[in-house]
Amino acid sequence: MGNKQTIFTQEQLDAYQDCTFFTRKEILRLFHRYRDLAPQLVPLDYTDKPAVTLPYELIGSMPELKDNPFRQRIAEVFSEHGDGNMTLDDFLDMFSVLSEMAPRDLKAYYAFKIYDFNNDDYICKSDLEKTVNKLTRNELTPEEISLVCEKVIYEADVDNDGKLSLADFQHMIVRAPDFL
Amino acid sequence: AERSGGSGGAMQPPAASPGPAAPAGAELLRWQWREVQAPCLVAAWILVASLAKIVFHLSRKVTSVVPESCLLILLGLGLGGIVLAVAKKAEYQLEPNMFFLFLLPPIVLDSGYFMPSRLFFDNIGAILTYAVVGTLWNSFATGTALWGLHRAGLMDPGVEAGLMDFLLFGSLISAVDPVAVLAVFEEVHVNETLFIIVFGESLLNDAVTVVLYKVFNSFVELGPAHIHATDYVKGVASFFLVSLGGTAVGLLFAFLLALITRFTKRVRIIEPLFVFLLAYVAYLAAEMVSLSAILAVTFCGICCKKYVEANISQKSRTTVKYTMKTLASSSETIIFMFLGISAVDTSKWTWDTALVLGTLFFILLFRAVGVVLQTYVLNRFRLIPLDRIDQVVMSYGGLRGAVAFALVILLDREKVKAKDYFVATTIVVVFFTVIVQGLTIKPLVTWLKVKRSDHHKPTLNEELHEHAFDHILAAVEDIVGHHGYHYWRDKWEQFDKKYLSQLLMRKSAYRLRDEIWDVYYKLNIRDAISFVDQGGHVHSAAKLALPSMPSRTSMSESSVTNLLRESGSGACLDLQVIDTVRSRRDKEDAAMHHVLRGSLYKPRRRYKASYSRHFISPDKQERQDKEIFRQNMKRRLETFKSTKHNVCSSKSKARLKEKGRKKAIPLLSQKNISLTKETPNGKTHRNVPWQDAAPVLVMVSSEEEESDSSETEKEDDEGIVFVARATDEVLQGKTTPELCKLPLTVPPSASPGSLDVCPSPCIIPPSPTLAEKELPWKGDQADLAVYVSSETTKIVPVDMQKAWNQSISSLESIASPPGIESGPQHRRFACPVLEEQPQSACQAMPEQSSCFQFPSHISKSGRSQSDSSPEGPEQQELQPLMATEEQGRVPPSGEPRWLMFNRASHL
Repeated sequence: MGNKQTIFTQEQLDAYQDCTFFTRKEILRLFHRYRDLAPQLVPLDYTDKPAVTLPYELIGSMPELKDNPFRQRIAEVFSEHGDGNMTLDDFLDMFSVLSEMAPRDLKAYYAFKIYDFNNDDYICKSDLEKTVNKLTRNELTPEEISLVCEKVIYEADVDNDGKLSLADFQHMIVRAPDFL
Repeated sequence: AERSGGSGGAMQPPAASPGPAAPAGAELLRWQWREVQAPCLVAAWILVASLAKIVFHLSRKVTSVVPESCLLILLGLGLGGIVLAVAKKAEYQLEPNMFFLFLLPPIVLDSGYFMPSRLFFDNIGAILTYAVVGTLWNSFATGTALWGLHRAGLMDPGVEAGLMDFLLFGSLISAVDPVAVLAVFEEVHVNETLFIIVFGESLLNDAVTVVLYKVFNSFVELGPAHIHATDYVKGVASFFLVSLGGTAVGLLFAFLLALITRFTKRVRIIEPLFVFLLAYVAYLAAEMVSLSAILAVTFCGICCKKYVEANISQKSRTTVKYTMKTLASSSETIIFMFLGISAVDTSKWTWDTALVLGTLFFILLFRAVGVVLQTYVLNRFRLIPLDRIDQVVMSYGGLRGAVAFALVILLDREKVKAKDYFVATTIVVVFFTVIVQGLTIKPLVTWLKVKRSDHHKPTLNEELHEHAFDHILAAVEDIVGHHGYHYWRDKWEQFDKKYLSQLLMRKSAYRLRDEIWDVYYKLNIRDAISFVDQGGHVHSAAKLALPSMPSRTSMSESSVTNLLRESGSGACLDLQVIDTVRSRRDKEDAAMHHVLRGSLYKPRRRYKASYSRHFISPDKQERQDKEIFRQNMKRRLETFKSTKHNVCSSKSKARLKEKGRKKAIPLLSQKNISLTKETPNGKTHRNVPWQDAAPVLVMVSSEEEESDSSETEKEDDEGIVFVARATDEVLQGKTTPELCKLPLTVPPSASPGSLDVCPSPCIIPPSPTLAEKELPWKGDQADLAVYVSSETTKIVPVDMQKAWNQSISSLESIASPPGIESGPQHRRFACPVLEEQPQSACQAMPEQSSCFQFPSHISKSGRSQSDSSPEGPEQQELQPLMATEEQGRVPPSGEPRWLMFNRASHL
């Protein structure tokens, strides 16, 4: 960490600390993780804010994320253009929101976005089906999945429009004590 | 009830006189009251209290409104009045010694032992804060405020007390009392977090109370003039010593206790004794060196439970549970009753309105202030903040009790001149908190709509989204490198698993700690109980034909068999589901939960802490496999169970129709028949009411059945073996794909011949599996003999392990490179299967669920898959072990396929 000072300026670090839930150390750690994905692309010197974007293929290849069924979707949600390619800011943002320190409301909001596969601001049946499929690794029959999804929507759909709005989702999440 | 207590007191004077009066001659009978006096009185009091409890509970109305503790105090007041009237002096007080040495330990042990440890440690931060900071704040604030009141001249001049006296009084009056809290909160049923925080606080603040009490007591005795600065330091130091020391003593004895119970296999009968003795010795040991005895017992109880429960026998467990509850309950009863009796003794106390009212006001005020302030700080760190309503309940739930009373009685009148005033105030405070607050807290909780403890099962949404989010969050922590609370718990669990459990648990207990085994075991016990309940004989066919009897609506204790019969042998491994099935909607929900639970994959566990980026830990694959096994075994068990019920029914049915040929017995309920009609092509209806999905059709060959019935009787006391054989003919010809659509319930539309199940204990040893032939290191031939053993109850674990081993071996053969060649006919069968899987995955997967894999079959499918195993690893996830589709395609191999199920039905 001898080169700590050269990566970010003091202001940058402070700004990152303000914008995320991380400490300085964690930010640097994440930066190194980010850089290790593509050392040839990411410069060690970030003081002049180079516009580096790593493709999703690299992000998704992180060994920890490899088994995450939602990795692509997460990357898409947090990336600026919704294509899964991430800048360092996106990267930090993603881990900040998903980290333990982030409040529930924020997590719930992003969880909703992650579930909302077709970006129509509602979790509809097709979104849920995708979620269930990812969770069960396609082990259920289509009928079962559709039945599950119907039940799920029926259960949480307060305004009865056949899809879950953010309000529905938050209402439901608030009552779930184990939801992180 | 009252008379016996009264007579106990009244009998004493006459008892004393005749003893020495008649020394003349040999006596036929002698009045020996004096010798038995003490124990007799104890017994009489306990009896009175217990009888009183019966009386209270005669009226549900009273006890639902008034907490038992209030009633007991009132009873004590009444009894005390009678004693006072009869004996002309107050007797039978609550003696501090008796209280601390005999009455308190059982209550604390009970609360420690049955403390939900997970919840406790989840909230340990909050609990400790409230217990330490809160109690300190309360004592100092109350003491100082009272002193201010005294200085302001509002109090009676008779109250001779300085700052130290008031601080001493503050320290004893401000501690929330575990006995009172428990007594009241147990009846209120607030949510668990709230309960554990208040209750945990009341237990852990003992250390603070003890230290403060001792320190101030010594200060008072020294006199304010002689206190040096070092004494304050000593006071702080003694706090850490007392609390940590008490905890250490508790942990030490917990360790000893766990270790001892590991070796009690031959002396089961005294197992419970160890639990009580060692806990009590822990209490006494801590008390002896003036450490916090309450902490010692609490931690002893919390920590030993896991190991002790695993080590001791089922009966001992029950004994421990009941004895502990009995002791705690009677102690509590006596404490409250004696509190009432003691209050009658007017000679001990002197009333001062200003002091009493001031104390009441201050403890309520400062408790509320303290709670609000601390919660404000705590909420910054809590994932789920404590809201306003919680805070109100916490403030209001700060009940004072017998500990305060005993401590105030212990004060030395010489040194603490205002003792009488303090006693009076303490009694009033205790009575006020227990009676007034105890009475009002229930309406308050209702009125404020405090989240009650609800044991609702998680909704589908919750289950789904929690799971999804677990997946989403998987590994995030690793990358961030931030280790939260869960990290430490994980660490602890690893440590526990690696060292502690090995050291403190019996080998057998340790090995048995598999989830499936647990469920399996419980199911068996329930089944066995129900079996005996129903007369121990096989149910009649008529009974079986009525899947849902109206009387079963409240089936909290109905057996698994019944439930399974109703829900179409939808074998659920979820005991909860079985326990609380009520309405139709619930059942549907339960079924959906089941679908989910059965197929949701667990999120990847975290990587090892010493993680290296370029090195994927070898654990990974293993864990993956494990999960697949788990699922597989689950499915198998499900099959087992459905098979088992078929066995039951087939037995009885076959007895009715004694014909020497195979026969299809449709056990369909009305509804299902109609459903089948609607769907003539056999496609499963998704909207089938779950509870009506009736058992499968069963084919029975009755020549085997005969031998079975005799066998069953013979084996009644050592276990029941069900062996089901699926003949190739059936599997080949008639297996309908829709049979297995649902992983959990066998659909009603199954056509005849879907499963051939015949109960038969005669066992043909399976031929060595292909995997064993070709992978010699897998060959565990000798173990297969185990299947044939008749002592099934004793070898159940072994059986299961074998099954596991077999699945492992087959899996490994799947995973192994396609180097090992086998006959072309294998390839012929395997390839279509594999090719078809991607498209028909959805269809094929659930089929696995209800098709049991037999040793030979497993390996065969394993073999055939390994032939074309480029996709092997991928397939492995999707298609764990079971190429069930083959069942419909593979021509008869000539080998019988074996399914075996053991019921450990010994009671």
